[in-house]
Amino acid sequence: MRGAVSIAGVGRTKYSRMKDGEVARTVDEYIAWAASLALADAGLSKNDLDGQGLAVAHAEAGHTVNWSASVAETLGITPKALIRGDQGGASATSMMIRAAAMIECGIVDRVLVVGADTPLSIPSIAPGLPLSPERVRGPYWDFQGPFGVMGPTAQFGLVLNRYRHQFSLTDTQLAKIAVTTRFHASLHDGAIYKTPMAEQDYLDSRMLSSPMRLFDCVPIVNGGMAFVVASTKSARAMKQPPVSLLGFGEISNYYRGSRTQPDITYTGFVESAPQAFDMAGVSHSDIDLFQPYDDFPFIVAMQIEDCGFCEKGMAGQFVENHDLRFNGDFPVSTDGGQLSGGQPGGAVGGFAPVLESVLQLRGQADHRQVPDAQFAVAIGFGGLPYGRPGRSCITAIMGREQ
Amino acid sequence: MVEITHKPFPEITAQTQPFWQAAKQGELLVQSCEQCGTKEFFPRPWCVECGGRKLRWVKASGKGTVYAHSTASVVMMNYPGWKDDLPMTLAIVELDEGTRLYARIVNAEPDEVSIDMTVEVDFESIGDDIMVPVFKPVRS
Repeated sequence: MRGAVSIAGVGRTKYSRMKDGEVARTVDEYIAWAASLALADAGLSKNDLDGQGLAVAHAEAGHTVNWSASVAETLGITPKALIRGDQGGASATSMMIRAAAMIECGIVDRVLVVGADTPLSIPSIAPGLPLSPERVRGPYWDFQGPFGVMGPTAQFGLVLNRYRHQFSLTDTQLAKIAVTTRFHASLHDGAIYKTPMAEQDYLDSRMLSSPMRLFDCVPIVNGGMAFVVASTKSARAMKQPPVSLLGFGEISNYYRGSRTQPDITYTGFVESAPQAFDMAGVSHSDIDLFQPYDDFPFIVAMQIEDCGFCEKGMAGQFVENHDLRFNGDFPVSTDGGQLSGGQPGGAVGGFAPVLESVLQLRGQADHRQVPDAQFAVAIGFGGLPYGRPGRSCITAIMGREQ
Repeated sequence: MVEITHKPFPEITAQTQPFWQAAKQGELLVQSCEQCGTKEFFPRPWCVECGGRKLRWVKASGKGTVYAHSTASVVMMNYPGWKDDLPMTLAIVELDEGTRLYARIVNAEPDEVSIDMTVEVDFESIGDDIMVPVFKPVRS
C-alpha cells in the first residue's frame, strides 16, 4: 500500500465565528465550497467524480440520517463508492484510509473526501449544548450528564489529572504548545486567532475544569474542508505535485490493560503509530513535521509520546527540549492547529492535519514553510469513551513524491 | 425554545430501570455478567469481557477510591441547573468491585480531594424524583 495513493487536491473554506453581520452559510453550502476548492486544486470538475468515490464526514448540522448519500444527491454526484466517516476528529484520516483501500483494489481511481459543519448555527437545548444525539440523549449521555460531567473539557481534565499522578507534565510545557500554535496561526491566513499569546497569557487564562484552562480549548467555528485522494499514477498527471500516503495505522476503543480498569494515560497511538511507521518504512528521525489532532495541548503531548517520538511520560520534557516552530527541530501544528486555527465541528477539525501536511510537503506553506519538508505525520483522534481518552486513534505518514 | 433551568434527567429504560429505582432507595447497583462475573458501568448490552448477554444488576458495596478528579468552575456541555453547585468536583471513582464510574465528590473542598482517597457512595437528588450516586470521603 505504501505510496499507492496520493492527495491530489486540497481545499479549506474561510471559517466563520458567526459574528454580527456575517452571512450564515448552511452546512451544504460549506460542503460545496470546500469540494469546489479541492477539485479546482486538483484540476478536476464535479463530473470527474461520477462512477468514482465520495467520502463524507458526519456533521452535527447533518439534516438527513444517510448523510453521505444525501450529500451525493445535494451535489448532483453519482459515486460508485460511498464512504462515511463518523469517528469525530478521526473521520478525515479514516476516510483517507478507506479511500486508499478502494483505490488500491481498483474499485475506483479517485475519491473526494469532504467534511463541513455549522456547530454555531444549530439549535441548542441549553447554552453551548447542541441538540444532537450523544450530546443530549442515549445511554452514553444518561450516565454522564445527570452525573455532572461537564463535557470533553472535564473528561480530559480527569485524564490529565491522572496523567500527572503517574508522570510529569507542567503548565509551562503545555503553554509552549499553545503559544507555538498561536504563533503559527499568525502566519496562516485561514486561522481564527492571530493575536500573539505569551506563556503568561496561557497561565493566566481562567480554569474551566481543573487542570484545563480557557486557553486549552479550541474555538468552535463554522466551516469546511476537503481533499482528493487518487492513485499516485493518476495524481502525477494532475495539476499539483502528488503527496503520497506512505503509511497508516489505526485502532479504535483501545484499552491499556484490562477493559474495566485500564490505564487511561495511554492512547491507541501506541498501537497505530508503529503500524504506520512499519508500512512507511521511515523512522521517527525522518519526520519533518508533526500535525497532531490538537483539541487540547495535553492531547498533543500524549500524541507525541504515544506515537513514539519519546518515551512514555517524557512528552513534557520533549516539548521543552525541542523548538516546535515551523523552522525549528520539531515543527508542530504549523497552520495554527485547531487551538488557534479553529475547529469547524467535531468531525471536521481532523481534516486540517492532512491539509497542512499536503501543503507543507508541496512547498506551498508560504511564510510558515518547513524547510525541505519530505515526511509528515498527520493524526486523527476522535470520540470520547467513558472514562478514557479517545475512541479512534489514527496515524498517517505522508511524503513528497520524489 | 423554553429556557432550561434544571439539571438533565436520564431517560429511564427497561434495562436501566433497576439502577434508578435502587438509587432512589440509596443503593448502588452495577452490572454483573452471569457468565464470567465481570462488573461493568455504564450498563452495556453484553459483557465487554466475554460477550455474554446474561447481565444482571447487583448491589455494590458503595466503597471505592478516587482514580482521577477535576473541579469545574463553569457549566459546559450540560444543563444550566448545575450553576448553584459550582465549583463542582467530578471524579472517576474506582469501585472495590473493579469497575469505574463518573460521579461528583461531595463533603469535601476541591483541594481536599486526592487520587487514591477512599470514598463511599451517597445519593443526591437532581430533581424530578431522580437520585444520582455521589461519593464522600471516608474520614477515619
